[in-house]
Amino acid sequence: MSGTGADAQACPPPLTPSDDLAMRARLGASHVAIVGCGGLGSNAAAMLVRSGVGKLTLVDFDTVEEDNLNRQLFFRDQIGMLKTDALADTLRRIEPDVDLMLVRECLDEENLLGVVEGADVVIEAVDRADVKAMIANVLCTDAPDLPLVSTSGLAGIDSANEIVCERVGENFYLVGDLHSDVRSGLPLLASRVMVAAAHQAHAATRILLGYEEP
Amino acid sequence: MRITVALFAHLSTFQPDGHGGRGARTFDVAADTTVGDVIGMLALPDEPRVLFINGRHADDSTVLAEGDRLAIFPPIAGG
Repeated sequence: MSGTGADAQACPPPLTPSDDLAMRARLGASHVAIVGCGGLGSNAAAMLVRSGVGKLTLVDFDTVEEDNLNRQLFFRDQIGMLKTDALADTLRRIEPDVDLMLVRECLDEENLLGVVEGADVVIEAVDRADVKAMIANVLCTDAPDLPLVSTSGLAGIDSANEIVCERVGENFYLVGDLHSDVRSGLPLLASRVMVAAAHQAHAATRILLGYEEP
Repeated sequence: MRITVALFAHLSTFQPDGHGGRGARTFDVAADTTVGDVIGMLALPDEPRVLFINGRHADDSTVLAEGDRLAIFPPIAGG
């Protein structure tokens, strides 16, 4: 699979679990762009690589800090490294042949489309609500055929069962409980963050395999 | 004309019946009503949001049609 837009629409019919070789081949030829390499993005990236996705674009401008280690897939000896570079090192330890494009810049309305060009699915994994809205509004307007898996509501200690994945637009998938906001002072716990990241990775995997529902 | 409006997360408290929840409510609005008109009518707060009409992305200037389902999401911080 490759290509933004019409190509993404023209994907073959869903593969069944019995099509193991075909399933692995399709994932291996797939490209996922992950915008944000924090709690969601770093964990989703590892799951996608373990599932056999062949190419990832990793986008983040930030560096690893000590207080990231409670939920993000980084290690103490990576403190101070760019998150893209640290995550790339870890992903290549999982799968040395994974194809990684590292984008070490802050995204805005001007550069977003260029950064995700060629991806089959985009995972939005940023923390700020206004940036989440910008990503959704730009991609849904200018790349409406490119599936976007976004997240809203994963903070706090409410039941992890409240975090779900829904298809709320034709190519817009939303993960979260839709109410738990870090701005309310709620903590970000590794378990809940990883549930959301797993939903994102699994939704992306299903989309790559031809399923429309998450 | 008749439309339905679904408000997600904390925006659900802005439904006129005040009952919250994610269920869509039915509204009778004038022809040529825009999404922005509905947002004003509901007095939604001025904050980032993502809009869909019948599953297709929309913006404040989009004109609604009979039977449309408008869904409004406020992204929630955290990642």
